[in-house]
Amino acid sequence: MLFRRYGTFTGGIDLPDEKHSTLDAPIGAWKRPEKLLLPLAPCRGASARPIVQPGENVTTGERIAIGGNGAVDIFAPLAGRVAKLTTAPIVRRRAMAMVPAIELRDLSRPTGICALSEVFDWKNASAEALRARIAEGGLTTHRSDPISLARWIERAVAKKCDVLIANVMEGEPFVTSAHRLLVEHGADVIRGLAILGRCMGAVRTILVVDQRRTDDYRELVAPARTYSIVRIALEPKYPLGADNILLKVLRRREVPPGSSPMDVGTAVIDAATCFATYRQVACGAPQSSRVVTVSGDRVEKSGNFWVPFGIACESLVGRAEPPVIHGGPMTGVRTGGDLPTGPSTDAVLAINAAAPAAPTPCIRCSWCTDHCPARLNVAALNDMFELAEIDRARRAGVLACVDCGVCSYVCPARLPLSQRVRQLKRAIYERREAAPLFSEK
Amino acid sequence: MNEPESTTSSASEIPDENRPPIVAAQSPFLRAPEGARTIFLVTFAAACGPLAAGLFLFGWRAASVAALSIFGCAVIERIYYGVTRVPALLGRSHAWLTGLLLALTLPAFVDWYIPLIAAAFAIIVGKAIFGGVGHFLWQPALVGRLAVTVLFPAELSIPFAQFPSDWPILASNRVLRVEADVRNAGRVENYRRWRRARAAEGYDAILITRPTLLLARLTRGEGPYYGALAFVDLDAAQTKGDLRLPDEYAEDLSTLPEAPLPEAPEAITPPATGPPRPRPAALLQLPPLNDMLYGARPGGIGETSIVIIVVAGLYLVYRNYVKAQLPLAFIASAWCVVAIAPIYLEGPAGTIRELWLPLLTSEGLDVGFTYVNYQLFSCELFLAAFFLSTEMTSRPVTTGGQVIFGIGCGAGAMLLKLYMDVPIPCYMAVLAMNTLTPTIEALWRPRVLGQGFWSRWFAR
Ligand code: SF4
Ligand code: SF4
Repeated sequence: MLFRRYGTFTGGIDLPDEKHSTLDAPIGAWKRPEKLLLPLAPCRGASARPIVQPGENVTTGERIAIGGNGAVDIFAPLAGRVAKLTTAPIVRRRAMAMVPAIELRDLSRPTGICALSEVFDWKNASAEALRARIAEGGLTTHRSDPISLARWIERAVAKKCDVLIANVMEGEPFVTSAHRLLVEHGADVIRGLAILGRCMGAVRTILVVDQRRTDDYRELVAPARTYSIVRIALEPKYPLGADNILLKVLRRREVPPGSSPMDVGTAVIDAATCFATYRQVACGAPQSSRVVTVSGDRVEKSGNFWVPFGIACESLVGRAEPPVIHGGPMTGVRTGGDLPTGPSTDAVLAINAAAPAAPTPCIRCSWCTDHCPARLNVAALNDMFELAEIDRARRAGVLACVDCGVCSYVCPARLPLSQRVRQLKRAIYERREAAPLFSEK
Repeated sequence: MNEPESTTSSASEIPDENRPPIVAAQSPFLRAPEGARTIFLVTFAAACGPLAAGLFLFGWRAASVAALSIFGCAVIERIYYGVTRVPALLGRSHAWLTGLLLALTLPAFVDWYIPLIAAAFAIIVGKAIFGGVGHFLWQPALVGRLAVTVLFPAELSIPFAQFPSDWPILASNRVLRVEADVRNAGRVENYRRWRRARAAEGYDAILITRPTLLLARLTRGEGPYYGALAFVDLDAAQTKGDLRLPDEYAEDLSTLPEAPLPEAPEAITPPATGPPRPRPAALLQLPPLNDMLYGARPGGIGETSIVIIVVAGLYLVYRNYVKAQLPLAFIASAWCVVAIAPIYLEGPAGTIRELWLPLLTSEGLDVGFTYVNYQLFSCELFLAAFFLSTEMTSRPVTTGGQVIFGIGCGAGAMLLKLYMDVPIPCYMAVLAMNTLTPTIEALWRPRVLGQGFWSRWFAR
């Protein structure tokens, strides 16, 4: 058996797959961009300090900003000229934020993923050496709300995580970037995963994939055996890709509301981060591009592309009208104001999203409650939102929400439920930040 | 350049010249196709099944009652929102559904003004004053039904003054005739089963004694049916004078032993050998079981045809509009209550015997089983379980809450039916449980992912 199989969870939905148009499209190179807008703070926390002046020329892979204090180094994805220091929007907690940025112009032509030779003997290096090398490369996690990978490892070590899970479920419709990465560069992804496992001292390293795609992943079975990585295939059901749900299924561990999987001793990472880790640690290529799926009914050219950071998302879809979506259709956000691609951009979509009909009153059909994978009574949370009963919502466990968007998807009254739940959560966090003494725990 | 980034991510923090054109994070961008209107219209279509059975069994009068009730609801809703100038969200499709459900609960012989008054109560008292769809506390159709039951008790429960305990059904030789009128009814001799009971010349409908009435007399110890759950030897009992029969049945009963009963249930077929086995007297008076199931029995337009109600209800379950747990809990708890709750049987010489657990009478399981089933089949329980208690707004949201709700409805309905003299026990039980819905919602909390067992109630 190539992959072990597992059970599933209550709630959730079967989404239309919609991946056919890009599932078998090899990762290609993107055309020469007009300009790149590189945010200096792709992660939460402080922003990096630029070390180039406007007018200066930079080469591919040159360091242009120095991080520290939680910020990561920024590298130039392509050779070009620094046009100006400006600001750029980025996606933070599913909404837009403005951060300082560097704009590059007069750029060189991007390449596809080129094979690199190993320049670092990572197999015999100590965990400390590996972590130092990761910190050098300005690596971040490639998931929504990226954080510095060095910090992520620090936290995993501090919380004594002994299990590392690479989550390649990719349950959202349209998105195929991790799938292509696994098909074309599976061995490198596996090596990156092994490196991360070594860094944090994981006892067990697990690769979780979608059961429908296991046939495409034959190539990576041998490397996975080499590094004793457990391979598990799960039956697709929508929010299985959410970390908390995955943990529930794989480890029978529930993450308490408001905590992260690391609090129950498990670190969850994605394929793109593993790939970037391998390229930095073994080959010395700092992180400055990633695989992006460009898809949807309205795009000019759909496919998977190796896209340098900093290209405006809207330019990827050609002449498609807004809305353009950054991320998957269930959890992504609408782009706007030159939102550049970054580590968390797994897809840029222009789908035919009909303007949602005006919400009507909740008819209490109970579908949101039935399908919520966190077993929240979303209809009751909606009432609490309307009455602004934030404390009651906290006691009802609203922080357990995994932000999957299922409740909005099913609601026949077209209420923006997941948005409302998100606002409740944000209100609780804000209150906690304002008065930490009086919050619980 | 090293200024801290904006800490809150709300759009208002972004400087104006850099404000993105659209910042609404409206994920998900995919939506399931089914809207609230679809739910109401599909439920309407499913409820047309019992209505069709009603048209078949009660004739054009059922059609006119249904039309009056549906259009009454639609028009009154229109007028109400026109006068109050409140935007009617989802109002119209829900008004049609309410009108149809209301019609299913009404008898076919009522006068034209009763559906209209019921519709007015349903829309205004049941729905509009609470704020329309999604806000009401009681199922609106039942509010209308209860109002007319209180206002016009006689018109709704007694079709004809001269036959207070009987109920008209079109005879089987009249069903598909356009002009057949259920008000033009006469008694038949020797009612066996609906297909064989043919109306005499000049009549369209036949009168059937209401099974609920027979069962009520039996269980309250006021019936003439000594040993109704027992296999009495009719002839012996009659000659001894223990068995007092009302005149209208005397003839029926005396001819019974000779009457052939080709499709009779097992319980009353005599065994092939030995002396002929006597029959339980009460069950002899009731319509045969298949009449009860396909609907040729007294009751409202859509209440009677259990087979069609169950099929339509299962379709709603398949569409996920109804959780199977609710009707199941409703019916199962009703069944258990009837099987356990004591009944009072009149014994010889005016004695009253209290009998607990009627399911397990000394006469055997078959008699008890038949008794329990007749109790369920003879009232409006199935319509209430599949169509009325499942009205989304007035039932709890969580599955566990719905089970509690269903158990309350079923038990309440049967207790009302057994011990209180109310005309619409199942509907009253549903209305009572609707009142408790907010309480059930507040107290029944599923355990949230990652929460401790007790923290759903005692979280700080
Ligand atoms: S899905 Fe929408 S209409 Fe249904 S109960 Fe939830 S909030 Fe109400
Ligand atoms: S409440 Fe949260 S976890 Fe539950 S369905 Fe909605 S978005 Fe998903």
